[in-house]
Amino acid sequence: MSRESPYSRSLGKSLADTIKNSKVLMVGAGGIGCELLKNLALTGFGEIHIVDLDTVDLSNLNRQFLFNRSHIKKSKALVAKETASKFNPHVKMVAYHSNIKDTTLFDIDWFKSFKIVFNALDNLDARRYVNKMCMAAEVPLIESGTTGYNGQVQVICGTKTECYDCKPKATPKVYPVCTIRSTPSQIVHCVVWAKSFLFAQLFDQTEETSQFDESMDNVENNEEDLKTLKQEENELKSLRDSILDSNAAQLIFNKVFKTDIDRLLSMDTMWKTRTKPTALDYNILQESTKGISRNIINNDQKKWSLQECFVVFKDSLHRLQTRLKFDLNPADSLQTISFDKDDDDTLDFVVAASNIRSIIFSIETKSKFDTKQIAGNIIPAIATTNAIVAGICVLESFKVLKNDIEKARFVFLTPKHHDKVLTATKLQPPNPDCPVSSVARSTISMNTQIIQLRDLLQSLKTNFNYTDEICLISDGKLVYDIDFDDNLDRPVKDLGIADGTFLTVIDEAEDGDGKSFINLELYIKHNPAIGSPDSGLISSIKFSHIPIIPKRNSDNLNDDVIIAVNGDERNIVGSSKRKAPESTPELVESSKKLKLSEKEDKDGAIILDDDDEIISFD
Amino acid sequence: MSALCLNRLQEERKQWRKTHPFGFFAKPKKDANGGLNLQEWSVGIPGKEGTPWEGAVFPLSISFPDDYPSKPPKCKFDAGFFHPNIYPSGTVCLSILNEGEGWRPAITLKTIVQGIQALLNDPNPNSPAQSDAYNMFRRDKIQYEKMVREQAKKYASS
Repeated sequence: MSRESPYSRSLGKSLADTIKNSKVLMVGAGGIGCELLKNLALTGFGEIHIVDLDTVDLSNLNRQFLFNRSHIKKSKALVAKETASKFNPHVKMVAYHSNIKDTTLFDIDWFKSFKIVFNALDNLDARRYVNKMCMAAEVPLIESGTTGYNGQVQVICGTKTECYDCKPKATPKVYPVCTIRSTPSQIVHCVVWAKSFLFAQLFDQTEETSQFDESMDNVENNEEDLKTLKQEENELKSLRDSILDSNAAQLIFNKVFKTDIDRLLSMDTMWKTRTKPTALDYNILQESTKGISRNIINNDQKKWSLQECFVVFKDSLHRLQTRLKFDLNPADSLQTISFDKDDDDTLDFVVAASNIRSIIFSIETKSKFDTKQIAGNIIPAIATTNAIVAGICVLESFKVLKNDIEKARFVFLTPKHHDKVLTATKLQPPNPDCPVSSVARSTISMNTQIIQLRDLLQSLKTNFNYTDEICLISDGKLVYDIDFDDNLDRPVKDLGIADGTFLTVIDEAEDGDGKSFINLELYIKHNPAIGSPDSGLISSIKFSHIPIIPKRNSDNLNDDVIIAVNGDERNIVGSSKRKAPESTPELVESSKKLKLSEKEDKDGAIILDDDDEIISFD
Repeated sequence: MSALCLNRLQEERKQWRKTHPFGFFAKPKKDANGGLNLQEWSVGIPGKEGTPWEGAVFPLSISFPDDYPSKPPKCKFDAGFFHPNIYPSGTVCLSILNEGEGWRPAITLKTIVQGIQALLNDPNPNSPAQSDAYNMFRRDKIQYEKMVREQAKKYASS
C-alpha cells in the first residue's frame, strides 16, 4: 500500500491529486510554522517553500519541535526543512534564510508561482506585507496567529473576501510622557519608566527613547537661561559621567527618588486630586537595610520590601558598573548595556527601580517574576494552541484548493472566553474603505532610469482620464501632487519608483455627485530594454492592462469635532463619521453552541455541525 | 507604514490644502530623495490676537506614528519652549494627544493645531510639564507674561 492511499481514500482522489500537484509557500518557521510544516509535509503537498529570517533560540525549544539543542543559532528555515523532509521524502522543500520583504529574491512573479500562501508570522508588519503581495499577485492567503490560549485562522481570497487590512488591528499600547515622567498610576508606568527612561539614560544611550523624549540632548541650542532646565540637564549629565564612581548609587538614587520627586511635589496643584508621592533619602534607607542579604534576588515570587528593593538596586548597579569597567575599551568611549529580560543584571535593576518608584507613588508593587513579564512584553506561547491552529490552516486550505471559498471560514479558537472552543464565522466581502483590498491594480513596465516623473504623469492622465488633482505616493512618500511639482524633471527611480515597488495613484477630484476614483495600485517593473531618450518616452511606458477604475463616495474627514477649552478641562465634543477601531476586532462573539456531531459524508470527511452554520472540514 | 495611515495622511493634506485656519501653515517635510514624508510635518501656530502670544508664529513639528490614526501624533515645539504644559524637550502635553485620554482617530490636523493654539494662552495648571513656566505662571503672572512676550518677539512673524 502506498503512503498516499489512506488519505487519498479519506480526502477523495481529486483533492489528494490537487494537493500532490500544489506548490505552496509558508512564511515563518516558528511556533505555528513548525506545526504547519509537519502538517503540510504529511498531507503530501508537492512542493513547499519556507521563508524565515530568524535563527533558532534556546527559548524556542519548548514548542518548536522541529528544532533541538544542536540547532541553536542555525537558520530556522533550513533546519525546519531538514527535519520535516524526513517525514515525507516525496515532498520537495525549498528553504530561504531571508526576509520575505526582500524584493530582489521574492518579487511578484515569485509570489504568483504558488497555489496558496500560508502566513505563520509573529508580527503585524510582515503580515501586512505578505497580505499586500498576495492581493497584488492574486494568490489565496491563509493567515493565522495565536496568543496564549487564543488563536485564529483567516482565509483571504483576493476580491472575494476581506483582506488582513480590512479590519483595524489592535496595536501595543504606548503611554503618554506625562504619565511616565510625572504621574504614574500603575506598576506598568513605573516599569516603563525604569526600563525605557532610567535604564536607557544611564546605560544605553543609543536606545531610541523618543517615546519618552525627555532626554536633554538638544537643549544646547537653547539660549534661554531656563534655570531648572539647565539644572536637570546638568544633573543627568553628571549621572552619566559618574556612573563608574563609587558613590554612583547614592547620586542616582537621590536624583531620581529624592530631588526629582521634591520638584514634582513643588507643583502643588498637581496633587490636589492625586495622592502625593513621598521622596526617599539614600542615607536614611541605608541605615534601615543593614542585615538584608542580596540573596533576595533569587526569590522572584516575593514582592520585595522597600529595603529589599534598595539592596537590589545597589547590588545590580554594582554588577552593571563592574561590567562597564571590565568592558571599558579606551578606543570606544560609548560603552552601553541594553536591557534584556533574560539578563539578570539589567532585570534586577529595573525590578528594583520600578518597585521603589511604585512605593513612592503608593502603587502596588510586583515580584521580580511579574515585573519580568511586564518589562519583557512576554506573551505566553502554547504549543497546543499552535498545533490546533496549524491543523485548521490545512483544513481551510482544502476548501481553497477545491475552489469552495463559500465554505471557507474565519475560525477563532477561544477556549477560555466562551463555552465554545472553536467559533467559525462566514468570510465577509472586502471593506470598501480598505486601502489594500479595495483598489484597482495594474503593472507598469518602463525604464525607471530614464523615464521622468513628468512622462509618467502624462501617461497616467492619458490612459486613465485622471484630473489635475492626481497625487502619486511611492513607498510612503508623496512624490507629486498639485501643490508639489518639484520632482517633475527627475528620473522616477531617483524618487524611489524602482523595480519591485508599488506606486499608489490617487485622484482627489470629486465629480458632481461627490464621487471620486478609487486608488490605483501600480506594481513597478524596471525594463531597460524599452525606451531610449530618442524614442517617444511616453509611449515606452507599458501597462500590463488598463483597468477600469470605479468611483465611490469621497471619504471626507469630518470637521465637526469641536475643541472646547473650558477652564481646566479639555474635551473634544461633537460627532464624527469615523469610528475608533475596536480594541479586539478578532474576537467575534457568537452565542451558537457547537454541536460536535460527527458524521461521514460521501468522501469520508468529518463534518462539525454548528446548527445552521456548518464548519465542514472536508 | 500601513496603507491606512498613508491614506489618512494624504486625506489630511488634501483637506488642509482646500481649507485651513487663517495664519497657520502645515506641510510635510522633504526627505533625502526629494519626496514628501507624510509622517513628518512642519507646522506654524500663530499666537492669538489680543494675548501676549500675538504677533508670532511658533514652529511646531508633528510626527505621525505608523499606526496613526489609531495612535495620536507627537507634537513638539523647539526645546526649551516656555509654557507650563510643554516639556523641556518641547513636547506638547495635551490630553487630546494622549492615547487612552482624549485621543480619538476622528481628531483632524486642524483640530490638533487649533487645540494647541488655544492651549498657548490657556495653560492647564493640573498637568504641568516644566517647572519654570509653571511656577512663574502660578506665582508671578506679570513676570510670566513678560517671558511670554519675549518669547513671542523671538518667533515674531515678519
